[in-house]
Amino acid sequence: MASQPASPARESVAALRMEAIRKQFPGVLALDDVDLTVRAGEVHVILGENGAGKSTLMKILSGAHGKDAGRIFLDGREVEIDGPRRARELGVGIIYQELSLAPTLSAAENVFLGREPRRLPGLVDRSAMEEAARAILGGLGASFDVRRQVRHLSLAERQLVEIARALSLDARILVMDEPTSALTDREAQALFEAMRRLTSRGVAIIYISHRLQEIYDVGDRVTVLRDGRRIATLDVAAADRRELVRLMANREVDELVTRRPSALGAELLRVEGLCRADELRDVSFSLHEGEVLGFAGLLGSGRTAVARAIFGLDPIAEGQVMVRGRRRSIGSPRDAIRAGIGLVTEDRKRQGLVLSLSVRENISLPLLRSLSRYGIVDARAERELASRYATDLRIRTPSIEQVTLNLSGGNQQKVVLAKWLACQVDTLILDEPTRGIDVGAKQEIYALMERLTAEGLGIVLISSELPEIAGLCDRVLVMRAGAVVGTFDRGVSQEEILSAAVGVAS
Amino acid sequence: MRREFGTLAGLLVLCVVLWFATPHFLTTANLLNVVEQSTLIGIIAVGMTFVILTAGIDLSVGSIVALSGVAMGTAFRAGLPVFAAALTGLAVGLACGLANGALITLGRLPPFIATLGMMSIARGGALMLSDGRPISGYPATFREMATGDVMGVPAPVLLMLAIYGVAHFVLTRTTLGRYTYAIGGNEEAAELSGIGVRAYKSAVYGIAGLLSAVTALLLVARLDSAQPIAGIMYELDAIAAVVIGGTSLLGGSGSVIGTLIGALIMGVLRNGLNLLGVSSYLQQVAIGGVIIVAVLMDMTLRRRARLPTE
Amino acid sequence: MSVKRVRWVAVFVAGLSWACNRGDGAGDAPSVALVLKTLNSPFFIELEAGARQAADSLGIELVVQAPDREIDVERQMQIIENLLQTGIDVLTLTPSGSREIVSAIAEANQAGVPVVIVDTRADAQALAEAEATIATFIGSDNVDGGRIAGRFVAEALGGQGRVAVVEGIPGHETGDSRLRGFREVIAEHPGISIVASQTANWERDQAFNVTQNMLQSHSDLQAIFAANDMMALGAVEAIAAAGRTGDVLVVGFDALDEARQAIREGRMAATIAQHPRDMGRLAIESAWSILQGDTVPAEQPVGIELVTE
Repeated sequence: MASQPASPARESVAALRMEAIRKQFPGVLALDDVDLTVRAGEVHVILGENGAGKSTLMKILSGAHGKDAGRIFLDGREVEIDGPRRARELGVGIIYQELSLAPTLSAAENVFLGREPRRLPGLVDRSAMEEAARAILGGLGASFDVRRQVRHLSLAERQLVEIARALSLDARILVMDEPTSALTDREAQALFEAMRRLTSRGVAIIYISHRLQEIYDVGDRVTVLRDGRRIATLDVAAADRRELVRLMANREVDELVTRRPSALGAELLRVEGLCRADELRDVSFSLHEGEVLGFAGLLGSGRTAVARAIFGLDPIAEGQVMVRGRRRSIGSPRDAIRAGIGLVTEDRKRQGLVLSLSVRENISLPLLRSLSRYGIVDARAERELASRYATDLRIRTPSIEQVTLNLSGGNQQKVVLAKWLACQVDTLILDEPTRGIDVGAKQEIYALMERLTAEGLGIVLISSELPEIAGLCDRVLVMRAGAVVGTFDRGVSQEEILSAAVGVAS
Repeated sequence: MRREFGTLAGLLVLCVVLWFATPHFLTTANLLNVVEQSTLIGIIAVGMTFVILTAGIDLSVGSIVALSGVAMGTAFRAGLPVFAAALTGLAVGLACGLANGALITLGRLPPFIATLGMMSIARGGALMLSDGRPISGYPATFREMATGDVMGVPAPVLLMLAIYGVAHFVLTRTTLGRYTYAIGGNEEAAELSGIGVRAYKSAVYGIAGLLSAVTALLLVARLDSAQPIAGIMYELDAIAAVVIGGTSLLGGSGSVIGTLIGALIMGVLRNGLNLLGVSSYLQQVAIGGVIIVAVLMDMTLRRRARLPTE
Repeated sequence: MSVKRVRWVAVFVAGLSWACNRGDGAGDAPSVALVLKTLNSPFFIELEAGARQAADSLGIELVVQAPDREIDVERQMQIIENLLQTGIDVLTLTPSGSREIVSAIAEANQAGVPVVIVDTRADAQALAEAEATIATFIGSDNVDGGRIAGRFVAEALGGQGRVAVVEGIPGHETGDSRLRGFREVIAEHPGISIVASQTANWERDQAFNVTQNMLQSHSDLQAIFAANDMMALGAVEAIAAAGRTGDVLVVGFDALDEARQAIREGRMAATIAQHPRDMGRLAIESAWSILQGDTVPAEQPVGIELVTE
């Protein structure tokens, strides 16, 4: 155990101890010998970037994932958690980001879903159930009627129902995964109040959040994860904000992410005052030939919403898009493609490829019309085009007739890129282009970006990988809550970007 | 790679078994019969293949057969030349199909619901238009379409083969065909590739409606009568032919060649069971069994080939 | 991998042909086909039973086939085409469509197979146009049956009252004929009016709903005529559910056992008996005569009668 007990006054047997937890996913070591100790009655914050391993660790605790190595102790006793049911029996409760309640059932019914008190077999003892739900929810400071349908409750109230459900199962360890992400400040304060009541009764809370301020509001101790490793465990009172940011972001530079900048040419794209209810607030930027413009920010900060709006997927409320100096109204992907814009989506299997079609058919999909006459496809021209781009991008496939389902993630991504390059787009929006692909393929994609910008393409890069943002981009826009909150030039450090993204002055 | 070979082998084995089981099966006259008997479902199944390739379903084809036929009958009785009356029938079928398409793409109704509604509307419309009675009596020139032959090959068979030829060409060589597969394989990716998904989906239902109307004309010509109760349950036979032919109900993969073989398997099975004198009750069981076995085998093959099954 | 599918289909079909291969290799026995409208109504099952009995005693090989759905003429024609391939000697047939079936009859003629029509007539004009011929028609007149039902109702109501009709599938010859006869007689009685006429598509449960609705909108209803007994029984149940058994008299058609039982119990007033068993027997006997080279009369009426007890 690496960390020294930081507040001896409250020392007791650890409610939870996770030791040397290891988890390997295909191509990624998600958790690399992670230790975690949580005491009864504390709020233990887990901090880390996207992909640092927070969720994986919690999924192992809740039985959703198995672990490859490591041990878990509850109250000093070693346990084996082989499924969600076992986790519940052991008193581990999880409140997920996406609430998992049945909207048309009442609060009380949701609390006891699947375990309703029975009077006779098959007959629910409604009054006993409501009484019990009232007692638990009252203990959390909730004042709404337990008979109301969940869909009529506010988000914060629903959170309380989720917590009550966990408590009704005698949860002694409660995991809360970004519970405040959808709450107003006032609702969040009420939730913190409920959390304090719980800890005073000896419940241990593991709290996952991006919001640094909240750590100081409710946290007792904080563990920082980075790249699947535990970096530090600190007393919140002793932790400085900048120190925390540095711990989250600073990584060994074992893979060099760089790109030689190209000379910038004419303006390709100018976006002014883009607004969309709740998602985008007055977003403006411009992109030039040969430029890589980075969009950084946390999940849900509005980066993808920008891409969707420009590509004509979501209607925009206000603002305008100019392509090569001319105002264009883009109402559908078709319009966007005509304007020379291509989008590589973050979810390539769901949005990027038709997996049941071949490499050739995917590459030619957006420009099939121009390869056809009277609706009849010129098969030879299509084959030649697909072969050319498959060779050019070094797509590793036995043949261009191979169904894309059978390709690796990196090669699938190259097919998506080939599709847009074949269309001769001059603006390429890449949304998390290297997610889930191996290191070698990542390097190929970085190299490709360098080549394309040298040829005069403009690239908008949306990424949660700070090294990519810092290493590849000519300029970086940082988004938070739908607005651009910071603009940086080449040479910006990862810490500066992260500070802006989480809302800390650096 | 060629999944149709499995289905074709199934058909051939079925034929061999019947050849041994009854001396009446393998005769030119009987084989021509079988193919001719498969034409109605065969033609509808072409449209159904397009629809199912887009991951849709069309339950209204049987009712559209009735409505198109009755529309033609009504037009003919009202004094239109038979050729113009036939065009009226085709137009009505196409319109019904396009209405399905509009309900699905613009109204955002699930295909199951939209076409279930159309199934009832078209059937009711056919009964209203005809006052519930068959409309009989057409010129011999029109009836040639069903009764004529070219060098011994019945005209409906030639018509069906021509339709399959065109459909195969469309699916393999044209943008419409490619988009049909793309939409069924991944509608969102197709949309993001700039394909006008709505227009193409509507077109596909239009094709299904139009081919239902072609079937209707063939049926009117054969029976010399347009019946408001024609085509009941044709949709299920057509879906069965498509599915036996290896087209996935999840969309994105399959072919009309497979569907043709599927339709022939259904036709041969029915013919064989008749020749063998199998009881009508057992015939229904047998056909249901073949559908289930064919699809089970198909899914097993898909899983092994690592193609999407769900 | 396709080998496996092939094997499955082969096993399946081989099993079937083993289980059911009754049609072939029977030697010299003459083979007669009976093609019905359907095999899922008691009327046709009775008809088949009569035919089978006659065939067994005469030493005839009998093949019985029918489409899944009563109205499916197209499918019925296919069955006939297929059976003609097996070299049957006589075709006996209850047409699913009077006009539509004619081209199948013509095919039988071409194959030299005599055709015996049972129960539903083939359209005379269409036969003439197609130059098709039939050996004989065996059946009872549905229009006449409708008339008998009409006369019964008129008499029972004393020439005064309000009547409702439950129809079969619209456009269906049998039902239309029965209703035509019924309406013809009722029209002769100005004191009786038909206040409602709705289809229940030959089905008992639909007749239940339709009758319930009729009783709602016409509380003074005195009689119901249903175009078959299944629907009549549905009407009887709806009347019972409304607590009005005995108030509304119900007349059906076909004289099913269950209907006769209801009549004995006083829940139903009358039904029309058509003797399908006799039709089946006569059809096979006629086929036998034709094969012996004897002449058969062009029309062989089968009695039709009112059943009230």
